[in-house]
Amino acid sequence: MTATDSATSSTGATPREVMIELDELTKTFPGQSRPAVDRLSLSVHRGEIVVFVGPSGCGKTTSMELVNRLIEPTSGRIILEGEDVTTSNPDELRRRIGYVIQETGLLPHRTIADNIAMVPKLVGWKKARINDRVDELLGMVGMDPAGYRDRYPKELSGGQRQRVGVARAMAADPQLMLMDEPFGAIDPITRERLQNEFLRLQAQIQKTIIFVTHDIDEAIKMGDRIAVLRDQSHIAQYDTPENILTKPADDYVSDFIGSGASLKRLNLSRIRDVEMATDAPTGSITDSAEDLGRKLAASDWSAVLLLDEQRRPARWVNAQDLRRDNFDGARMGLEARAVVEPHATLADALNELVISNGGCAIVSDANGAYVGVVDLETIMAAIRVMRDEHTRFYLAAKSHSQVDL
Amino acid sequence: MTFADYLTNNYENLIELSIEHLQLVLIAMLVATAVGIPLGVLAHRSDVVRPAILSVTSFFLTIPSLALFAIFIPVFGLGSPPAVVALTLYALLPIVANTVAGLNSVDPAVVKASRGMGLGSWGRLWQVELRLAWPVIVTGLRVSTQVVVGIAAIAVFVGGPGLGNEIFRGIRSLGTPGAENLVYGGTIAIVVIALTFDGLFVLVRRFTTSRGIR
Repeated sequence: MTATDSATSSTGATPREVMIELDELTKTFPGQSRPAVDRLSLSVHRGEIVVFVGPSGCGKTTSMELVNRLIEPTSGRIILEGEDVTTSNPDELRRRIGYVIQETGLLPHRTIADNIAMVPKLVGWKKARINDRVDELLGMVGMDPAGYRDRYPKELSGGQRQRVGVARAMAADPQLMLMDEPFGAIDPITRERLQNEFLRLQAQIQKTIIFVTHDIDEAIKMGDRIAVLRDQSHIAQYDTPENILTKPADDYVSDFIGSGASLKRLNLSRIRDVEMATDAPTGSITDSAEDLGRKLAASDWSAVLLLDEQRRPARWVNAQDLRRDNFDGARMGLEARAVVEPHATLADALNELVISNGGCAIVSDANGAYVGVVDLETIMAAIRVMRDEHTRFYLAAKSHSQVDL
Repeated sequence: MTFADYLTNNYENLIELSIEHLQLVLIAMLVATAVGIPLGVLAHRSDVVRPAILSVTSFFLTIPSLALFAIFIPVFGLGSPPAVVALTLYALLPIVANTVAGLNSVDPAVVKASRGMGLGSWGRLWQVELRLAWPVIVTGLRVSTQVVVGIAAIAVFVGGPGLGNEIFRGIRSLGTPGAENLVYGGTIAIVVIALTFDGLFVLVRRFTTSRGIR
């Protein structure tokens, strides 16, 4: 099952197993009369990503920290996998819940391996098992175990540190993970990559995740369901991204979504869900100009995409390049930019498209190998489908009200 | 008598006094470390006792050293005991103050993440906070040791051991030939001890601090 599938099924008629339930959770800080979190009730299903989103000061981080009791609730209950954990041993509770924060919080005096091993050590795993797990996790977050195990956090880039932070949170295989603006302090390009990587990972691991962000675009992209919070963590709307965008519950929600709600819907569709073009002529950078020329002539494209030995997109060459003397596929034409993965959203693809030099975004799999291309036509088609759906919904609502009359 | 003659005739005596001096410093420093670091941790963790701990330990440093040694004669008599107690009190402030400063300098996000992963209060202190504060704490120990090595010379006034005896003997017989050699001899030995400690602390700090925070 994929991340988007689970989004749709979570709204379906079949009730899914509840992973964690918050029941009237309230926190009043000492010396304050108004609670910071006021009777927050919500349940999260197993395997879904629920995003708490809201402006700063709305209590979303406090709400998250009530879940693993970094902040002890004043009243209310926390029910994890059917068990009331409101007054259980907090350290044992926290070891069952993965925790990722924006600042990463890696222990600077410990190696990457030791950082990841933290919770497994606390719960008493054997050394060999911990070692295997560390290597497995580093591999999962795309870092070479041999190269990174023995490094220290300061030797890593911000994006790498955040990857290690995620690996550390998953180390003892917790069913529930809390992520507090995990990609908030990272540059936009790396953030997008980490988001996509994480969604791909989530499709495999199927954890239950509570994710906090102030960024509605990130919420739409990451969430199977989104809880839009207002002051004191009151829930303004708790629904799927589609419904939040198309049917905002009130002015607060539509104001929070902001302008361009329909453009934001590009974040809902992923490249793998749309029909990408696979008929683009491709060749190898070592092919001769004649071979490539034949392929180009046989297609209705104006350029051939050259792939390297690992079938990764390398360069675009057109008929003019092919006619040149001493044709060399590795040097001529234009560099193949704008490579996206099937997990990327249409918004990502559109973004890449703008900076591309082939007029389309190239789709590659997890190993970087070529899969297909997405051009403006594809994206336009997807937008038209969305509009149609919207129209159908609008018409349905209208005819319904007519019946009522 | 030249200083070289003095050294050849007296080196055994100087070495003996140096060893006494070292013992005095080491005992005072061990006690001060054993008391000072926990006091620093306590001061860091409790807003209630922090002002009391910091003001009492800095108060000791304001008492003239001679007086501080003398104060303890009625309680402990003459000799090593009042000297050790006085030196310990002198050593406390830099240790306590640096322990507090070191713990305060630990990145709150690191502590929060450790807590969020289920590391208990003591585990956090031992595995995280003290490790990260360690370089600052070692610097406190180093400063303390420097202060104590110098001030230990005053122990002679309460009948204590150490290189103060040589210096004091020299001062008492100033005017007689070669008396200044005794003062120089004692002083130089103290400087050598101080520099040796300093070097040792640099090494200790280097080898006990994780590569990740160096």
